[in-house]
Amino acid sequence: MASTSPARIWVMRAAFPALSLLVIFLHLLPLSTLPSRWAPPDVMMALVMAWAVRRPDFVPTLSIAFTFLMADLLFQRPPGLIALLVVLGASFLKSQVHPHRETAFLGEWVSVGIVIVAITLSNRLILAVLSVEQPSLGLILIQMVATLAVYPLIVLISESLLGVQKLSPAEAEALGSR
Amino acid sequence: MAKDRSQRDDYAAPLRRLLTGVVCLCLLALFLIWRIDSPRVERFRAQVIDAVVPSMDWAMIPVEGAINLFRDFQSYQRLAEQNRELRSELRQMSAWKEAALQLEQENARLLDLNNVRLDPRLTYVTGVVMADSGSPFRQSVILNVGARDGVRDGWAAMDGIGLVGRISGTGQNTSRVILLTDASSAVPAMIQPSGQSTLVAGDNSPAPVIDFLENPDLVRPGDRVVTSGDGQVFPAGLLIGQVTQDRFGRLRVRLSADYERLEFLRVLRHHGSEVIRDPGGLIVPAPGTGTIPRPRPEGLGADTGDGTEPAETEDG
Repeated sequence: MASTSPARIWVMRAAFPALSLLVIFLHLLPLSTLPSRWAPPDVMMALVMAWAVRRPDFVPTLSIAFTFLMADLLFQRPPGLIALLVVLGASFLKSQVHPHRETAFLGEWVSVGIVIVAITLSNRLILAVLSVEQPSLGLILIQMVATLAVYPLIVLISESLLGVQKLSPAEAEALGSR
Repeated sequence: MAKDRSQRDDYAAPLRRLLTGVVCLCLLALFLIWRIDSPRVERFRAQVIDAVVPSMDWAMIPVEGAINLFRDFQSYQRLAEQNRELRSELRQMSAWKEAALQLEQENARLLDLNNVRLDPRLTYVTGVVMADSGSPFRQSVILNVGARDGVRDGWAAMDGIGLVGRISGTGQNTSRVILLTDASSAVPAMIQPSGQSTLVAGDNSPAPVIDFLENPDLVRPGDRVVTSGDGQVFPAGLLIGQVTQDRFGRLRVRLSADYERLEFLRVLRHHGSEVIRDPGGLIVPAPGTGTIPRPRPEGLGADTGDGTEPAETEDG
């Protein structure tokens, strides 16, 4: 029952921007200024997908939009585009979720993978149509695959350490009736 | 209770969908505005960075220090080996030092002979690197000097030895340096000793490409690459690096600046070099000051030969 109390919900709602800020902070550390041959996974994207599947109420649309807009601005990406795509992707995942049904993890991984691939490709496509200068395709594909590979790890950490788990039917009922 | 809940959903779901739609429209509008009027949004971005990054600084310094400490600790394991290497390097260096001293004396003598005056307006302000771009697709760093220190867009940033990049985006207390390795960086340069002008273009690899070279046969690996000052981008003569050739035979620049560890950068104050616009403006004074050649005397046109100007009439 504790995971449906308003205090807990608000703490977790604050936790998402805080965790994202931590990720941004680690990326911004000036440890190496040499261009690298590989790209690290986009942890923020994996995080928001994992949470949107489990507890949509922890990641409201406004919070996602604000956090990813911040990341766009700080990482020198075209402002707003990734944020827009992630908001769309996350709301799609939220609408796909059947709150009372326990789905197999593999199925969830596949649907999240489709969303991430769609975000990556449409980002690339929109930038190409508007003829914005883009990084090499190889790096982007590496990042996409790395994000998909790191997704189970993010899910594991979210479930075990942060307690972001799907609600049982009774809890969902309690949450809904309040 | 179930009925209660379905009623709740009835108005909550469309409301939520509306909110998502509004948010998406706002983000789309921001992106389109950025595409249409990039400078304005980039200014906004600089302001956001200006507000956010300095406030992270208190945490960044200890974390970065701890990570570097850990890296150093790893290198202690190879201490004995390193020591031996350093000794042999030191022996080589002392020979070089002797050569350098001699060259320095010679250089000073030659400068004295030529009465060379280095550009006195080329002063600099030094900044500390606070953060990097945070993305593997972009190569830039953020310095802790900004408009407050008089830094302006387009100025050159160097480390102790070579050119590092170009200021692009200044906030009140921070400024962003686009590194030469960034894919959007292109710097007009000159290769010495052949004196050919070229463009040093970054491509997200450690060594930028030498582009638009007129005659590649005159260029050999090891030649020096310096800025040419073309297009008023940078002051001329800043060292960029040396020419190398990669596996595919493309000419690249091995940068002189130590990109492994960019810590302190010098931002050169550059107020534009003086341009000679009209040819001969230096030699002939402005028209109307009395030194214009006089018009031919009218008598010459008819060629009457009345003997007043013997030199002219003899020719005619």
